[in-house]
This record gives sequence, structure tokens and C-alpha cells, in this order.
Amino acid sequence: MNDRSSAPAAISCKGVWQVFGHNPEQKLKAALERSGGDAGSAAANLRKDGLIPAVQDATFEVKEGELFVIMGLSGSGKSTLIRSISHLIQGTAGEIEIDGENILAASKKRLIELRRHKLGMVFQHFGLFPHMTVAENVAFPLKMQGKNKKQRRQRALEVIKLVGLDGREGAFPRELSGGQRQRVGIARSLAVNPDIWFLDEPFSALDPLIRRQLQDEFLNIQATLKKSIVFITHDITEALKLADRIAIMKDGEIVQIGTPAEIVLHPVNDYVAEFSKDVAKGKHARVSMVMDGENPVPGNMPDDPGLRTNMTIDTALAKCMELYEPVPVWDGEGKQAGFVHPSELAAALQVEAD
Amino acid sequence: MPQNSETKSLPWGLTPGAFAAWAAALLGLACILLTPVFPWLVKWPAALTLPMTDWIGSVVGWFLSVLKPAARLFSAGLGYPMLWANWLLTATPWPLVIGVVTAIGWYLGGLRMAALGLGGLSFVLASGYWIESMNTLALVAVSVPLALMAGLSIGILAYEFPRVKKPVQGLLDVMQTVPTFAYLTPLLFLFGFGPVVGLIASAIYAAPPMARNVLLGLERVEDDIKDAAVMSGGTRRQQLFLIEIPAAATQIMVGVNQCLMAALSMVIIAAVIGGFNDIGWEVLLTMRKAQFGQSFLAGLVIVVFAMVIDRMSGALAMERRRYDLRVIGLLMAVALLFTLLMGSSLPNPSDYAAFDPTAAVVDRALGDFTAEYGLALDQLKNTILFYVMLPLRIGLDNAVLPFTWGFMWTPAMSMIFLAVAATGGVALFLTGRRVAGAVLLLLAVTVETGVAELPWAFVIGGAGLVGWVSGGRKLALFAASMLALILVSGLWDRALLSLYLSGVSVLACTAVGGATGLLCAVSPAAWRVVRPICDMLQTIPLFVFLIPVLMFFQIGEFSAFLAICAYAVVPMIRYTRHGLINTPEEMLEAAVSSGATGWQIMREVRAPYAVPTILLGLNQTILYAFSMLVIAALIGTTGLGQSIYLALGKGDVGLGLGAGAAMAILALVADRLVQGFAEEKRRALGL
Repeated sequence: MNDRSSAPAAISCKGVWQVFGHNPEQKLKAALERSGGDAGSAAANLRKDGLIPAVQDATFEVKEGELFVIMGLSGSGKSTLIRSISHLIQGTAGEIEIDGENILAASKKRLIELRRHKLGMVFQHFGLFPHMTVAENVAFPLKMQGKNKKQRRQRALEVIKLVGLDGREGAFPRELSGGQRQRVGIARSLAVNPDIWFLDEPFSALDPLIRRQLQDEFLNIQATLKKSIVFITHDITEALKLADRIAIMKDGEIVQIGTPAEIVLHPVNDYVAEFSKDVAKGKHARVSMVMDGENPVPGNMPDDPGLRTNMTIDTALAKCMELYEPVPVWDGEGKQAGFVHPSELAAALQVEAD
Repeated sequence: MPQNSETKSLPWGLTPGAFAAWAAALLGLACILLTPVFPWLVKWPAALTLPMTDWIGSVVGWFLSVLKPAARLFSAGLGYPMLWANWLLTATPWPLVIGVVTAIGWYLGGLRMAALGLGGLSFVLASGYWIESMNTLALVAVSVPLALMAGLSIGILAYEFPRVKKPVQGLLDVMQTVPTFAYLTPLLFLFGFGPVVGLIASAIYAAPPMARNVLLGLERVEDDIKDAAVMSGGTRRQQLFLIEIPAAATQIMVGVNQCLMAALSMVIIAAVIGGFNDIGWEVLLTMRKAQFGQSFLAGLVIVVFAMVIDRMSGALAMERRRYDLRVIGLLMAVALLFTLLMGSSLPNPSDYAAFDPTAAVVDRALGDFTAEYGLALDQLKNTILFYVMLPLRIGLDNAVLPFTWGFMWTPAMSMIFLAVAATGGVALFLTGRRVAGAVLLLLAVTVETGVAELPWAFVIGGAGLVGWVSGGRKLALFAASMLALILVSGLWDRALLSLYLSGVSVLACTAVGGATGLLCAVSPAAWRVVRPICDMLQTIPLFVFLIPVLMFFQIGEFSAFLAICAYAVVPMIRYTRHGLINTPEEMLEAAVSSGATGWQIMREVRAPYAVPTILLGLNQTILYAFSMLVIAALIGTTGLGQSIYLALGKGDVGLGLGAGAAMAILALVADRLVQGFAEEKRRALGL
């Protein structure tokens, strides 16, 4: 995670607005002028005028190979945001760069080009073409690229195998279960081997068991493919399980961006804290978040339970059950990174935002 | 009724409904009382009538004469494919045609459809109407592709360009409410006599349902599917033709089915122009000669045709299984072998007349029947005519005569009658049933004067008030101004006559259809009987309805009334049953667990929930009644339908279009008013 902060940005959004209603560009400009650039009051003014500021002033970056999750309740604007980034809808204001190219300024032709080679997307309700077989569905983006039949077939079978659907390539979508359908959706979005992968609540329409299974497989796929991902969900557990970083949205506004541990341990406000309330914090927070790495290490620490920086707090606590003195913490290369008092480990789980 | 802001300003805390009902009733009463002083309240002064039909005639006539050369060229061009289709269908040996149709049936729906195709066409062959039927089929075969192309293009256009969607939808509405005959007059003028006119008329008539379904289908494609097509990098054209249209296929196939049925229906109606030896003409001819047996037989051939085309194209819209293609090869081989073996000894299809004896028997039996029971039939007819229809048409004051009712209606009686009704109305009002009181008074006013002689101020004011209750100020203005247009055009008297006949029919349909729908909702056994009848009635081309009514009741208003009812009752039955059946399960469980009996559930839960659906059924029934009204003009009705029919004979474009437009206005106003109520009820139920 940390090593990625220096990686170049795959997607970079600066001050992105998506306003619905009559004549949104003009009205947004006027509202921003009136509020002196303050996004919050500009949005409030737009609402008063009967417009809907679905996304307000969104600014963030997705690094290459990063799995970036946008989380929020329904109506928070997360689906709108991913649609602005993928340019399914035309953003009202701001800059969206994909690999350094401002796609808000891109021509129609260039956009088609980008979609044919660089972008892939998975949809909540799958969006499978009902009149095509699994193989034809998966091969459709390749057909748009202009690949011939044989190449299409070969690549389609490859991706179908990757998502574990081999043998069903001749089936029609209506003959598949929900989980299988989304596998087809995933396969189709990967067919052109895109660099950027958008997933819009891909698992929300599935049963809990199937959902977990697909999440695990998704993580496996990502471990080998290393795509730059924007992933939308309304489920905090899903977000914490999958994300490198999470952006939490509320009423069109991004309220916090951080790693799962940061979100759980240091929520910026009650709204974020409310989400992580029911989450077992010990499973997501790591020892590195609570250890003391700055102060000099105390001279004699009698016990060394072998804590490591990337251990979850739950695991670390289990090792310190009988200990009451500070213990050392080791990093991945075996060097001492700092120390922690077992009572602080326990206290970290009680954190509530004020 | 929801309390809206307008309620507060109404006197005595009346609801808008009660207020409008009382305003209308008092307006009617005032009109009646003032008529002796101001006769222009009933009869619009001729001096103020604008010669609109003449204007339409000259403007459209000029326009048409500009188009005429191009149109003649077009019709000459269309003549060729028609000739080819005709030649192909009549020159091909009949075993081959039957073989092909059976094979298509197999491909579309397996054994059942194949059997339908084989059986249907064999019947046609045996009836001796083979050549006539093939001529009709040729017309359909050329007009349907035209209609499909036009419909598809219009639908796609409206979908692609949101700005044209509204106007296109309005145009489609109008096209479907303007009566079929009204199209024919300008078309005759443009394209000259001959079968091509029927062909073009049917293409025009059949295109709107296709366009509607294409638009609906495209709009209903899931957003995720559309987005997936975009994200796959398709150009707009690729998205549309590779993804969205195929994904909308099911709905589009419904459009194809409706398009085929409309084309067939219109091709048969267009036979009134004559000049082509098709099956519609055969029906008309035999009907005019009062050969009811033959006419009935020809009508049956049309019905069989309609059934085959409807069921087979309906199968297109179903989820399809793949049937063994080898069977098709086999069928074709058998047909070919049969043709070759028979060779030149293959009998001429027109020589078959297997049912001629049957037709003769039917004729004779009919003759015997009418001889035997003619008196009873006449009595039935006269009773309804004299005691129900006539008073509604010309009012008690004119209909009550000594030789039917046994006494003479005097002005004094009118006064007493109205006074009693007014007292009753006021009594009801004071005891809290405010709307009921006004309705009683309204009924009394209508029955006393008769629909055809209602004061125009009352009709237009009343329609405006109903519009106000149903949809607010805008609808009120629309209804009143549209009707006022008819008033000043000089078609008012005829419009009232049409209003009367369709009104009586709709009333009868509502009563009979509602009761039947209720019965079918309660008893599945009844539905099993009624359903195939409904299916059948909806498949039969309008024209055919005239045959059985004529057989028993001869030409006249009563026969027209029966034909209209037979056709228009179906939606009432279907929607009533559907509405009553489809109550959400939880609501029923809640009612049962509250201890409600079956009838209590019906009255307290099912019926209120079904109201919006039933209103939609009423709406359909009204539109059906109007479209049949014009066809029924063939067997003797007065009013706009007759004018349209006369205009066709005289080639009077202005009158034809004007009367057609008046008819469309009546239908549109009725449609909007009922839709408004349905919409309000749905909102009130939170649907």
C-alpha cells in the first residue's frame, strides 16, 4: 500500500461536479461565483434552485494497480461518480484524467477508441446482451475492436476460463444463475485486457454466499492482473475486504478517503464512524496504526511475542494475552520498527469518533 | 378525493367532484328552462357556423393535387410488387402454398402451429374462396413490409431524437383515433381507384402500432445493457443495431403481430372501394345480396385467416424453442411430390365448394328461423329501440308517443319530471350524498332532452367541468375548446348522434362487460368459457362483426348497436377481471386475517384496488366503440360515421376529413377524460 503512494496516477479527478437539471453548467458557475468557490454552500444554493448536485467537487487519484473503492448509501452519488469517470454521462465541471489524458475534452472518436482498448466495466444488473450466447457476449468488445472471428473466439474462451465458466460458452444469459451471469459480465469487461477496470456494485445483486465466493475470486484475479480499479459498493464489509483505499461519499460529497484501517480507526466524523460501528475493527486495523515508531524504544522489554507491523490487531492481541509490558514490533525485513503497549492494542478497538 | 388547494375556495366545503357535478346539473337545468326564450342554446345559429369542411376540402385538396403526380407514380410503382405477389400466390399450385404455410407454422411453434396452418388453409381451400383469399394475402404481403419499415423508422427516430418524440407520439395517437374510413377519401383522391389504395391505406393504418412498440421496446431495454454497449466501444449505430434493437426484439415482435392484424383488418375494410376480387369484397357482395349463408362462410374464411396470422406471428413474441428443421424439409418434399404426382390433374381451387351445401342450409335455416321467431326478434329489437335507445336519443319529450308508450308526453309532464328529479337531487344533497344527487339530476336532464338534442352549452360546459375534475384547468380547456371546434364547424348535430350511439353502446358494454368480468374473476370455470370467446372477438376483423347481426336484425341502428357492443365489450371484460384478480397477495392475507369473507374482500379490497385498471378498460372500450361506429355506418347509422361513408362515395375530401377529425376529437376527449380519472385513482392508491 505504502509503496504505491509514489506510483503514477492512473485516474486523477480534480474538482469534478455532476449537476442534473436545467442548464447545469451556467448555474453551477454562477453558484460557485456567489459562494466564492465554497463547494458546500454552492451545492446548497443549487438544491434551492431545484437542481441536483449529485457529485460535488470530487477530487482524488487512483494509482496504477490500486483497488480504489467508492462507498456510500443509495443516493450518495457514487454511481453517478463512476459514470462521470467512465464518461457514460458528461461531467458538468472539473477535470478527469486517465493516464494523463483529460477525457472530458476527448472527442467522440477518441472516447470510442479508449473504450475499445483501455476501459472495462462491470454492471450491477450485469447488462448482458440477451440475444447473444456467453461467448458472443464476452467477445462483443473484441468485435468492436475489429478482431476476426477466430481471434475473438480464442480470447473469449481464455477469459471465460479465467472466470471459471468453461463449458458454458454456448449458453444464453437467461439460462444462467445470477452468480454465473456476473462471471460473464466480468469476463466481458476483461476481454480486451483493459488497464482501467470499473465495477459498479458488481456483487450487490447476488446472494451472500455467492457474493463472498465472487469477492474471493475477484481478489485472486486482481492479484495476477493488477488492474487500476474503481469499485463501487454500498457494503462497508465488502469495501474493507477488497480496498486498497476507500472513499466514503455522502450526499454527493466525498467525506473521507483512506485505507481501510484509517477509515475504521480514525473516522473523520460521526457519519463515517456510524458505518464502521458494527465492523470488527480488530480484523482491519493493523499493528502499525497503533505502535509507537517515533519515541526511543525502551531499553529492556522482557517479552517478545513476535508482533509485526502488518499484523491485524486481533492477531496481535491474541499473542499478548498475558502481557502487561510494552513489546517490540518488527517490520517485514526483521528490523525493529517500534514498540506497543498491549493495553493500547485493546484500547484501539474502543475508538469512537467524537 | 385528495384535498387540493382548490378545494378550500369551493362553497359549502364541496369536493371538486361534487362541485363540478352540481355545476353541470344546474347548467343543464338552466339551459332547458331557458330554451323556449333563447332557442340558440340548443341549435347553434347557422350564421355563426364556419364552413370548415369546405376549408379543409380546398386546402387539403390543393395540397393533394400538388402531391398527386408523385402519388400516382408511387402507386404505379407499387402496382408491380403487388402484381408479383398476386401472381406468386395465385399461380403457385395450392399444395405448395399449404405446404409452405405448414412449414412456417412448424418453424414458429411446432406441431400446434403446423396443424393450425394446415387446418386453416385446408378450410380456405375447401370453402372455394382460395383465389379471393390469395388476393387478400397478396395485399397484406405487400402492405405489411411497408408498414413495418415505416413503423421501425418512426420508432427509432422518436427514440433517437427526444425532441421529436412528443410530436410523434401525438401524431400516432391521432392516427389511431382517426377512423379508418376517413383515410380512404384523400387516398382515393391521391392514388385513384384500385387495390393500391387499399394497400396504402392499410400500410398507413398498420404502421403506428409497430412504431409504438419499437419505441416502447427500445425504451425498456435495461440501462445496464445500453451502458455495456457503450463501454464495449460501440459507435452509436453499432449500439443501436447490434445491441438495443435485438434486445428489444420481444416487444418489437408484439408490434409485428399488431401490425399484421391491423393490415389485414384494413385490407378487408378497404374492399368497400371495390375493384378487386378479394375476400372482403366477397363478404360485401354477398351481404348486399342478402346471401347470408355465403356471406357467413366468407366471413369465416376471414376469421380463419386472422387466427392463423395472429397465432403464428404471436409465436414470434414468445420465447422460442428450436424445432427440428428436417421436418420442414420433409413437409416441403411431401408438398412438392403431391403437386408433381397430381400434375395437370390438380383441381382448380375455385372449384371446391365443400361448404356450399352448408351455406345453403344455413341460409334456409336462417330463413326458417326468422320466419318462426321473427316476431319475437322484432319485439326484442323494438322494445330496446323504443324504450331505451330512442328516449336517450331524442328525449322523453319526443320519444313518448301514443302508439308506442300509450300516451303523449306533454310540456307539463316535463316540468313535473324535472321538478321531481330536482327535489330528489336536493334531498340526496342534504342527506350527504352530494355527488349522487347531482348525478340524478344530470340523468334526468339527459333523458328528458335526449343526447342528440342536448343544448351545446351544457355539453361543452359539462365536458369542461369533467375535465377540470379529472385533470385540472388544462384538460378542462382542452376538452371544451376541442368540442367548441366541432360546434362551429357545423358538424355538431352529427357529432351528437355519434356521441349518443357510442354512449349507449359503452353503457351497455360497461354493464355487461363489468358483470362478466366480475363473474370471471370469481369463477375460473366461467373464465375458461369466456376467454376463448374474447380471444376470438379480438382477432376478428371489424368488418365481420356485421354479418351475424345483419342475419338476425336487418339493417338499422339496432344492428349497429349490437355490432359495436360485440366488439367493444371485450376490453371491459378483460380489464375488470384482470384488475380484480391481481390484488397483491399481502393485501388479501391482511384482509383474511382481519376476518373478511369472500364478498367483503371483493367489495372492500379487490374492487377499490381494481378501479384504475377498470377505468383503463373503460377507456379502451370507448376507443373500440368509436372505431366500430364508423364501420357500422355500412349497415345504417346516422351521424359522423355516415358522413364519412358518404364522403367516400362522393369523393368529398373536406367532408371526409372533417367528419373524421370530429370523430377523432370525440374519441380523444373521451380518452383524456377517462385517463385523467384513472391517473388520479392510481396516484391516490400510491401506484
